[in-house]
Amino acid sequence: MIIMKKLLSVLLTLTLVGSLCIGCSKAPEDNGSTSETKTSKSDSDKDGTTLTFVQHMSGVITDELQAVLDEFKAETGITVELSSPGSDIEEVMKTRMASNTLPDLWTTHGWSVARYGEYLRPMNDQAFVEHIVPSIKDLITGPDGNIYVLPIDADICGISYNATVLEEAGVDPESILTWEDFEVACEKIKAIGKVPLFFDGKDPLAFGQFFDFVAPTLYTNDEENNQREQFLDGSFDWEKWREVCEILERWTANGYLNTDALTADYMTACQSLGSGDAAFMLRNANVIVEAWTTNPDAKLGILPIPGKDSDNSRCVIGGERLAVGVWKDSPYIEEALQLIEYLSQPEVCSRLATVAGMPAGLDTAESDTGKLEPYYERVMSDDILTIPYFDREYLPSGMWDDLCVTGASIVAGNEGAIDDTIDQMRQSYEDKMAQK
Amino acid sequence: MKKKHNNNIITLFYVPALVLFLIFVVYPFIEGIRISFTNWNGYSQNYTYVGAKNYLRLFQDKNVRTALINTLIYGIGSTFLQNVIGLLYAVFLDSKFRGRTFVRTIIYLPVMIAPLVMGYIMYFLVQYDSGAINDILAYFGRPPVDWMNSGPRAVIIMTLINSLQFVGISMVIYMAGLQGISRVYYEAASIDGVSRLQAFRNITLPLLTPAITSAVIINLIGGLKLFDIIMALTMGGPGYSSHSLSTLITNQYFRSQNAGYSAAMGVGTFLLIMLISNLAMHYFDKKEVYS
Repeated sequence: MIIMKKLLSVLLTLTLVGSLCIGCSKAPEDNGSTSETKTSKSDSDKDGTTLTFVQHMSGVITDELQAVLDEFKAETGITVELSSPGSDIEEVMKTRMASNTLPDLWTTHGWSVARYGEYLRPMNDQAFVEHIVPSIKDLITGPDGNIYVLPIDADICGISYNATVLEEAGVDPESILTWEDFEVACEKIKAIGKVPLFFDGKDPLAFGQFFDFVAPTLYTNDEENNQREQFLDGSFDWEKWREVCEILERWTANGYLNTDALTADYMTACQSLGSGDAAFMLRNANVIVEAWTTNPDAKLGILPIPGKDSDNSRCVIGGERLAVGVWKDSPYIEEALQLIEYLSQPEVCSRLATVAGMPAGLDTAESDTGKLEPYYERVMSDDILTIPYFDREYLPSGMWDDLCVTGASIVAGNEGAIDDTIDQMRQSYEDKMAQK
Repeated sequence: MKKKHNNNIITLFYVPALVLFLIFVVYPFIEGIRISFTNWNGYSQNYTYVGAKNYLRLFQDKNVRTALINTLIYGIGSTFLQNVIGLLYAVFLDSKFRGRTFVRTIIYLPVMIAPLVMGYIMYFLVQYDSGAINDILAYFGRPPVDWMNSGPRAVIIMTLINSLQFVGISMVIYMAGLQGISRVYYEAASIDGVSRLQAFRNITLPLLTPAITSAVIINLIGGLKLFDIIMALTMGGPGYSSHSLSTLITNQYFRSQNAGYSAAMGVGTFLLIMLISNLAMHYFDKKEVYS
């Protein structure tokens, strides 16, 4: 009886933990096992071909994409099976990469070069490449000169703000040129009883965004005095990371953040921005589009990210967003490229970029960004730098979570949070570099 | 001879279950142990064996220590609450009264809700802005509280939520146990002038030990592997302060891309759960009384 119970106990614990260990993964295989690209079917065989397509976006864009794919099927006879795992895209794609069973096409959510480059077919021979808008072309080009995706839209990310709150507080958004100016603005906003900066920290990515916004202005934007090489070759002195952490700590201590900065969810944040309870959010225009669903009359806009000091110009973060790549080992490469060509047609690209609410990624297409158009024109002007997402460009893949979690610890006011942050960033950087 | 033949046929029926068990539990578990000795990032085709480095790191990692303490609180705290409240419910429902079935259904109902859904429902209760509890506080003129912004408080709240959701399981186990106790003992005790409290302590509790064993082990394992509610309410935050070992393993595997380290944590968690559940079984085995 006792032996049976012990056996039962072992089996139960095995069941519980076995699945946690690696249940959803397959052991990595040797490099040599990579299969060669298979030839595609002839045109006559295309009816009945089914392409698999995984995309990361949610909401109306998913419906529009499905409509486009249905039209593609009507025109070519090729079926496209669209899968939208939403925020689980990372888990889905990592599991599929581990087992080397990738979909024929997928959206790369900012990682076409650093993470997916080795799995994607280069697109340099495709006609759309010469039409990629200059603001993102460099950002999606790998060190080997390869471009791996069709960028349907271009992510332009600045500080989203509520113009009414700024007006009420006597803040001119165009006067915010440096972080010092930003802090002065925050003081004025706080004085009228509004929340200067809203963080939706229930999902800690809000804190990762803080580092993506502030760190480049301190470490990489300055042409003459920067740490770009040090980040890339691993010689960066992580003690210098203290500077960016102290800014977050200071903003928290000064009361610029919402009381529920650690627990508010995304919808609460959008509502606060739309209703005029909060002035700024360190997020792209998605929050504005969402805020307008709660208050269509809200006066919302996009502000460039301030510079470190008056010697440094302001910037916006650019990069890929709705960008589609093709698996280099797909058995249906020809059909997948046919879909890429279809998506790159000006009218199709325009439709999708318009629904996504972002500028188009190709200069042959025009996106109707509606009320945000003047803001996009402003932030894409010559005096504003366009920079890549800091973590994607200067940190190894997998460190995004470190930024998110350490930021939350600083805002939580945990004892020694900044020292712990520096240690964790250093440790994680070394671990990730060793994985390469 | 015929009996031996029958036994062989019966043994054959175990084979499908055994095969599935080997494929979906034993094989991944052995692979997990192997991966725990590598620095695999979870998706790359390349990795290196790093010896016992991941295991040594487990002992130095402050976040693992926090997750371990939280896991014990989730496990032991939930077990304690579910068993005490479950037993009280069972004793209450063991007496006959109008609406007994309805009350039993209401108590058991949350068990049927997916824990993730329960987490999202509870978020509307505890959220700072427009949360039900803060609305009640506002009604009484009290300032709102950001209930989940402190790790320790979030851990206690999630332990309570988990306990209240699954208390129905303990209740059902104890009700079955109570119905198995012969009324003769109580009648004899009553003749001897034993009070109800004494009868409960000296008759009910000892004879309920098999039920207590089952309820404790089930609740303990459920609490130690708490996952969904944490993901729905705090995602392990703020920082790492409300992570359990289960959520930290997932976090390290997928978000931090430390599959090797995550696998080492999984092996550690396996050993921990095995140790605790064995200790609990051993303890209750000694206490077991059969009527």
